[in-house]
Amino acid sequence: MSAATDFARRDAQPFRLAAGGLIDRSRTLRFGFDDLELTGFPGDTLASALIANGVRLVGRSFKYHRPRGIFCAGSEEPNALVELRTGARREPNTKATTVELYDGLVADSQNRWPTLRHDLLAVNQLAAPFLGAGFYYKTFMWPASFWEKLYEPAIRRAAGLGRAAGMPDPDHYEKSHAFCDVLVIGGGPAGLSAALAAARAGARVILADEDARPGGRLLADRRLVGGRPGPEWVTAAEAELATMPEVRIMRRTTVFGVYDGGVHGALERVNDHVPAPPEHEPRQRYWKIVAKRAVLAAGSIERPIIFGGNDRPGVMLAGAVRAYVNRFAAVPGRRAVVCSNNDEGAATVADLAAAGIDVVAVVDTRHEVPAATRDAATKAGAILVPGGRIIEAKGGRSVRSALIRSGEGRDIHVGCDLIAVSGGWTPSIHLTTHLGGRPTWNEGMASLLPGTLPPGMSVAGAAAGHFGLASCLAEGARAGVEAAASLGFPRVTAETYRADEESVAFAPFWYVKDSIGKAFVDLQNDVTVSDVKLAAREGFRIAEHLKRYTTLGMATDQGKTGNAAGMAVLAEATERSIAEVGQTTFRPPFTPVAIGAFAGHHRGKDFRPTRLAPSHRWADERGAVFVETGNWLRAQWYPEPGETDWLQSVTREVQATRERVGVCDVSTLGKIDVQGPDAGLFLDRVYANTFSTLPVGKARYGLMLREDGFVLDDGTTARLAEDHYFMTTTTANAVKVMQHLEFCHQCIWPELDVQMVSVTEQWAQFAIAGPRARDVVTALLDPGQDVSNEAFPYLAAGPVSVCGGVGGRLYRLSFSGELAYELGVPARFGDALIRAIMEKGAPFGIVPYGTEALGVMRIEKGHPAGNEINGQTTAHDLGFGKLLSTKKDFIGRFMAGRAALTDASRPRLVGIRPVDRSVRIRAGAHLVPRDAPADAAHDEGYVTSVAFSPSLGHWIGLGLLSRGPERHGEVVRAADPVRGGDTPVEVCPPCFIDPEGERLRV
Amino acid sequence: MSDRLAARSALHGFAVPGRHGRMDGAAGVTVGERVDLGLASVMARKGQGTALREIARAAYGADLPDTPRHVAGPEVGFIGTGPGQWLAVSERLANGDLSTDLSTKLKGLASISDQSDGRAVVRFAGGRAREVLAKGLPIDLHPSLFAPGGAATSIIALMGVTLWQVDAVPTYDIAVFRSLAGSFWKWLTDSAAEFGYDVAPTR
Repeated sequence: MSAATDFARRDAQPFRLAAGGLIDRSRTLRFGFDDLELTGFPGDTLASALIANGVRLVGRSFKYHRPRGIFCAGSEEPNALVELRTGARREPNTKATTVELYDGLVADSQNRWPTLRHDLLAVNQLAAPFLGAGFYYKTFMWPASFWEKLYEPAIRRAAGLGRAAGMPDPDHYEKSHAFCDVLVIGGGPAGLSAALAAARAGARVILADEDARPGGRLLADRRLVGGRPGPEWVTAAEAELATMPEVRIMRRTTVFGVYDGGVHGALERVNDHVPAPPEHEPRQRYWKIVAKRAVLAAGSIERPIIFGGNDRPGVMLAGAVRAYVNRFAAVPGRRAVVCSNNDEGAATVADLAAAGIDVVAVVDTRHEVPAATRDAATKAGAILVPGGRIIEAKGGRSVRSALIRSGEGRDIHVGCDLIAVSGGWTPSIHLTTHLGGRPTWNEGMASLLPGTLPPGMSVAGAAAGHFGLASCLAEGARAGVEAAASLGFPRVTAETYRADEESVAFAPFWYVKDSIGKAFVDLQNDVTVSDVKLAAREGFRIAEHLKRYTTLGMATDQGKTGNAAGMAVLAEATERSIAEVGQTTFRPPFTPVAIGAFAGHHRGKDFRPTRLAPSHRWADERGAVFVETGNWLRAQWYPEPGETDWLQSVTREVQATRERVGVCDVSTLGKIDVQGPDAGLFLDRVYANTFSTLPVGKARYGLMLREDGFVLDDGTTARLAEDHYFMTTTTANAVKVMQHLEFCHQCIWPELDVQMVSVTEQWAQFAIAGPRARDVVTALLDPGQDVSNEAFPYLAAGPVSVCGGVGGRLYRLSFSGELAYELGVPARFGDALIRAIMEKGAPFGIVPYGTEALGVMRIEKGHPAGNEINGQTTAHDLGFGKLLSTKKDFIGRFMAGRAALTDASRPRLVGIRPVDRSVRIRAGAHLVPRDAPADAAHDEGYVTSVAFSPSLGHWIGLGLLSRGPERHGEVVRAADPVRGGDTPVEVCPPCFIDPEGERLRV
Repeated sequence: MSDRLAARSALHGFAVPGRHGRMDGAAGVTVGERVDLGLASVMARKGQGTALREIARAAYGADLPDTPRHVAGPEVGFIGTGPGQWLAVSERLANGDLSTDLSTKLKGLASISDQSDGRAVVRFAGGRAREVLAKGLPIDLHPSLFAPGGAATSIIALMGVTLWQVDAVPTYDIAVFRSLAGSFWKWLTDSAAEFGYDVAPTR
């Protein structure tokens, strides 16, 4: 057939039946597949529409680029993967069998070049002898250096799947939570009857089904329930559920994982079935469904029988063939061979014949063929081959004939374009194993059946190995009744359903040993029977080993159709039972989930919440540059017009503060109210120094140790009343300190009458620092408040009235080393206060300064901060040894006294300055003796913080140096092998500015 | 001396009054900020639980709840946030007036901290309110389990919240740290957009 005739009548949907199917023929949908312009109907999937149009070749295989067609009709599809949509919305490896058709849909085949029909990379098939099991491990072993540069890129180009969009996803995704008494997973006959039963008992029920409409096989097979056609019964069941207020039917929703505490992960494809989500709606929604009970009614997945050329387009699972014919009125061929090991063969033959398809041969692998199959074959005019098998499916881009070997060994060659194959069904037990349950092999059913179940889960219908429709309905109802009753709902009578008769008998038949040509076990990863056998010969005898060596079951379909057969081949090759071979592990997700769905709204700047300081809006208006410190966004510096470099701005801010006055938002520091009669005692125990003696109206620097003796955090704490202290922590450790205090109180000293609560967010607090700070503060305070050095000395603290009667608090604290105050007001006044400070400070030349200038000034003063209080330093290391009280016990006291923590040779805090003052030193450089090599053996410490000191006109730093305090004046080297610096530096005291602290006290 | 500092609510600049999101049909939810609310944490002093309850009942006409519930007196409501801990809420005793009042009346029985400025309180109501909250709140708000008076301290989109139900509409009040008001508002409005939402004016 030429391309021209192949698609000549495509507009007419030549493979669409004239009537029937659950499709809406009143509206025609246009869609594109590669360069074809095709049509379909609402209710179609992309796969059914392609079939209706006679498109059989839809993709190329992963390794060998063999032509592939549609194999299944559901989410287990291994072959029909396409790139759906275009541009930023292009989504690779999308199963055509699960894509609902919409008008304007565009899909492209993948893994082919230049075109699907003429794929030049199909020459890979010539290299097939080298691409067998373990080829990655064998072929590309040497030389190792070739792997990254040559082999891997080459393999990735040749063997692959679709292309990612490579652009930001324009759609948004969402997360949500749902709660129910009974979660029913799967909306087939068992799931619907379970949901009905549980709902009638009054339970809150969620029914989740991955399809656009519930019904499962009832939509695909011509079956009767209570004398009504399956789809009619489904519609009635849906209608009843819809009337119940405590029932939610979640369509297009796949429950993909089971987690602790009854949590189920589910993905709802909210708007995958439309070209683009309507405005304000997400594309997909990731659900956490918390269920007290779950009924797994996930159904089963049909198995193939594996034979030579079983991957040719036109070889299709029999159940899928019936689905296309019955549900979609789309016929996958004109001349069919039906091959099965079970009694469903009769239904397949009958459905094909009813659709007007010429069934030429019926192959039953069993010698005893049931009467129903015989009759169906006779009626269809097909030859019947008992005890037969297909040796080879012949053809290229489509099956053209089948070579059948009869039970007596006679070969029959029949022309056909469709082979409907069924090896029985595999229960979908995946979710039963997610919490560690191991399924058990049932020899009689030749299936893995659910073993230990997750707490609260029961399994019903085909997923439990109950294959008949009648038993699915009955078992589902029973499971629904039991689930609800176990929660205390009334035990309703399970409805009894009448279904038309059927037989589900089968005899295991996995693969055709005398196959001709490649026989594929895993269609998506191109793993053949001979690959499995080769792996077995090479010693990979365990299912998990086989999987990794051959990649069997490792593709995006996770081997849903082929894994069982793979284990059977391995069992036979190693002369063991399938139970002995073992099984691979099912892990979440059941089907792939886009990472975007897990992220939900937490994308870009919404990755995590942002905390904004009270002055944020003002700082933003002023053009501040912000830096993220934890969740906080803080002003880093405030560029002035003409400044082109951060250092320029920061230097100006430092100079202005040291010479005049500056203001900085310090609201981000942690603030904790510690109250109660025992507050002082409590603080004495959590701080290394003493607070019970602190007078009301005073603040004190405090140092907190961890239990192991290292420094936890530092800050100032003011005493506002006899029984009320106001503690501050560093921004970074605010939460950690609060947790520490809660732990100490609740677990160590519950007898203390002390209460604490975070008030970080209540107060907007600004540091006003510099020689003119008092002038600015005086201008801000309401008249009659004396902040002179005598009335309000260094470390004073107390309430003030600010700017027209706003109740605030003033603390005379300094981190910069200058005369400084911190002024706090309730946060709703924060924005107005920063504007007032700037206004009142203008006559004194005030500047705002950011975290960089703050850092420069603290380094100039030698105050340790996060770089030094890094969890590895002790009070002694940081020069705070004097703070450790000897008059009381406190957390960390004993452990801080361990020999290793008081060892004089520990690296301790020093200042450093470059011998050549023009040289820049870098944080992270290691300190080595002047004449020693810069290696680990001579490492004596490192530079923790550096800054360009505007006050001194050169770079300075803080560092931790072995025996540091004894070595002031010594010259060592700051060696920076990573960035290439190595410069002599002079060790000096850490405080570079005003070491006597005179400026603080003026 | 200068004019008194102007107060700005936590959602100033974030909440834009009017109809947003999906525009057709009635808005699924309404959302607004409760400004000038008095908020205070109340923590019982050791051994004073019984006395505290009695005095609080006499002073505020409310029984301090032992569970996460919101118990409203005529002027002040109390939300159980932990053992011996409550968040007091008052419209009448605005801002810091509440903590001042509590400190006076419960002196020696409880430690009081003003939190009026530390939280943004969002009032959130409407037929779709539960669906919107489900997108962030990991607790079950089904009316049989969570009714008017119900309260919870939980997390929404990585942000700590205290939430209590006001009426059966349902209407909820949600308190979130002030610095997170913008991020919370973004989450709330993104989540409500598909239903359409009305924003009440704020200050």
